[in-house]
Amino acid sequence: MSDPMAEIRASFFIECEELLESLQDGLQLMDDGDTDPETINIVFRAVHSIKGGAGAFGLDDLVRFAHRFETAMDEVRAGRFHPDGEAIRLFFACADILGDLVRAARDDDQVDDAVTGPVLEKLDKLVGLEEEEEEVLDFTPATLSLDFGDGLLDLPDLPDLSALPAAASSVEGLPSLDLPADMPALTAEALAETTTKGFTVHFKPENALYASGNEPLYLFRALRDIGDISVTCHCGDLPNLNQLDPDTGHLSWDVTVHTEESEQSVREVFEFVDGLCVLEIKPLTGTAAMIAPASAPVVEKVVEKAVETAAPEAAPIASPQKPPVSIKMVTAPAPTPKPAPVAKLPVDSDDDTLDEAPKDEKSGSFAPIKATGTPTQPRATVRVDLERIDRLVNLVGELVINQAMLSQSVTEAGLPPNSPVSTGLEEFLQLTRDIQESVMMIRAQPIKSLFQRMGRIVRESSASVGKDVRLYTDGENTEVDKTVIERLADPLTHMIRNAVDHGLESTEKRLERGKSREGHVTLTAQHRSGRIVIEVSDDGAGINRERVKQKAIEKELIPADAQLSDSEIDNLLFLPGFSTAAEISNLSGRGVGMDVVKSSIQALGGRISITSHEGEGTTFSISLPLTLAVLDGMVVRVADETLVVPLNAILETLTLTETDLKALGPETHVVQIRGGFVPLLDLGAELGYRKPQDSYVGGIVLLIGQEDGNRAALAVDAIEDQRQVVIKGLEGSYGRIPGIAAATILGDGQIALILDPTDLVGQASGRTRVRQPQHALVG
Amino acid sequence: MALRDQLRVMVVDDMSTSRGLITNALDSYGIRNVASAADGPSALQKLAAYPVHLVISDYNMPGMDGLQLLHALRSNGATRGIGFLLITGRADREIIDMGKRLGMNNFLKKPFDPAGLRGAIEAIVGKL
Repeated sequence: MSDPMAEIRASFFIECEELLESLQDGLQLMDDGDTDPETINIVFRAVHSIKGGAGAFGLDDLVRFAHRFETAMDEVRAGRFHPDGEAIRLFFACADILGDLVRAARDDDQVDDAVTGPVLEKLDKLVGLEEEEEEVLDFTPATLSLDFGDGLLDLPDLPDLSALPAAASSVEGLPSLDLPADMPALTAEALAETTTKGFTVHFKPENALYASGNEPLYLFRALRDIGDISVTCHCGDLPNLNQLDPDTGHLSWDVTVHTEESEQSVREVFEFVDGLCVLEIKPLTGTAAMIAPASAPVVEKVVEKAVETAAPEAAPIASPQKPPVSIKMVTAPAPTPKPAPVAKLPVDSDDDTLDEAPKDEKSGSFAPIKATGTPTQPRATVRVDLERIDRLVNLVGELVINQAMLSQSVTEAGLPPNSPVSTGLEEFLQLTRDIQESVMMIRAQPIKSLFQRMGRIVRESSASVGKDVRLYTDGENTEVDKTVIERLADPLTHMIRNAVDHGLESTEKRLERGKSREGHVTLTAQHRSGRIVIEVSDDGAGINRERVKQKAIEKELIPADAQLSDSEIDNLLFLPGFSTAAEISNLSGRGVGMDVVKSSIQALGGRISITSHEGEGTTFSISLPLTLAVLDGMVVRVADETLVVPLNAILETLTLTETDLKALGPETHVVQIRGGFVPLLDLGAELGYRKPQDSYVGGIVLLIGQEDGNRAALAVDAIEDQRQVVIKGLEGSYGRIPGIAAATILGDGQIALILDPTDLVGQASGRTRVRQPQHALVG
Repeated sequence: MALRDQLRVMVVDDMSTSRGLITNALDSYGIRNVASAADGPSALQKLAAYPVHLVISDYNMPGMDGLQLLHALRSNGATRGIGFLLITGRADREIIDMGKRLGMNNFLKKPFDPAGLRGAIEAIVGKL
């Protein structure tokens, strides 16, 4: 995109998405009863900004709608209209349509007037607005006389205030404005803000510190919890090896802690080693702690403050010995008018117009202030094409494979573990891992955008079935891989619709049962043991298991005499072609069943499970891997095949003894583990590599934990390694293979299959006692 | 040297789209010495290191609105003389009157085209 306008237009639509998000947030707060003017302002501003941008690009439909919405919000803001629940629902509808209009404008599409018309009509009726006439405002511009002298690029004396006709010449004459208390009007406080905050810690342990079992590393880690740290170790005192007394410490450290916390919190870290070390904590003297010489004072207030500590003529006083109070910037008349070089400005990446102020300027009436650090800046962001990130992800994947191959070669070469190559490789491994995690973090984004879309689904679907429903969300800031978020939209939409349509009872039934009139649907996301768990729950009637079972029998999905546990009945919902609603409503009966939901979750390497309590509600729980690119796996051997078992599925590994093993029937075994019994599965037999073994005594088993809390013991021949493997999908070439999640390339170039333990166990435990090879797979 | 080569401008707007649009328009008039800030407080901070002749600021911004920024500029000896062009989506009489009292040099209502912006600037600083 070379056309700057096209680029700005594209960024406008991205910005609109952010504004729509804060619009939803604001409305949600209002709906929750928040009447804070700032909340209303956020809503107003979001609509206002979208309108403003849209106007610049001539997006008339969008402008027209946004204008009416904005006018209504302005009424709310001015306190002339107090929205009730109904009004806020209407605002939500407006926000949804505004989103539609933005996307339509982006995609050169249109939104039907039949959609916008009625909502606008309602809006006008509700708020009682008439289209106002634009007032013509007279204003005479006030000219500035800019004298550029002989054409040098100097900043001339800026025109004095008297040149401005309407301007007040004294501050007193100004009307008092409600300025935010923290407004940095170039005050001393504001300037002090720009200095670096933190401490330098000099730490030299005495022998007693080590003798009492303390470990400097833990202290540094505790410091890291306070702020960013950089640690320098001084090992100059180390004697030669032959003179080294192992009971004497020779090291000392300097740690720089960047933190907002007080010195006290830094001291507290060392509380328990007090007296066991030399400890010096000094406030950081920021590089900003200086003022550029200038002919005029920066701000009167600064001078006043400075007078308290030094004579006005004095040189800069910010000395490192001073307590870390505040004024690191002092103004003082300088002997020469030549200013210090202007600092490089922190510029947010959106504006690339100026990175550096011109260097050759002379002093004007301004006092150039050298400031470093960006404490009050919002976090800078860069927008990057997703393709570039994906390329990086792929490259990191290759790096992981390459690293595995290198390790293998090193091992094969028979180098000792403490050889420089081996230790170097160790570090390489750690770095690769760090890079991989960082890259994954780039791809991750908060799941919030997805949750907000679900808000709309709830509003629309509850309206269409005439139920009163409220959506609660939690964990919106949980970061999830972008692709996962995109591919979750459809299954989640379906589950939400299901919850509203089938999960929740009708309003009458709820009241009959003594429940609140309003049904609740809760959507949560959280990180749990290396996975992301998303739950959709409702406080409805729960699964009617009798009816589900009946339906399954009718559809010949299960035999009429099947004995099923509650959870087995619940899982019938995931069978293809299953639908319990007596009549298919136009909401969830859209030809998509829970089986489709399940397979799309599985395609993401995820699992889905149900828990339901009669009369209390149903919860669907989706568990997803953090990343789709690599996983930590245990490399095992079974019947001369190499397989990878995802590490997060393995609870523990053990060697079987005779007493652990109990026979259960003629062809199955269970393993006794700490008082409980767990079914034993022979991985080789399950995958059809070989027949079940004669004896498993002395064999190795992996204890697999499942989402539903069930466990299984997987017998393997040997555990070879534990390592990070790059996931290479198989589905493109082979379709979905039961029990197998994907494949990978090992260090020796060999291809190994990655197991899906839960699926494997599920497939195996579904059968009774007859265990036969079903999936003949040959590596 | 033309005025446009000398003129230093700071664009203040919380929307990066608007900053981009204004900067782009300024560029088309040949004004290249342009800094920008996403809110009033950071504008004040940047101004300290990069003094300008003219601030072009949006009115409706979170935290500190355009008029509050103007007030801050006029309250400070060093920034008192900077020209101020307010861009506003809603040209309310109240805003304009307050702007007048605070020493606003000109205002421009959104949406505007590059010619409109140029006119509004030239009304303050003269022919570019």
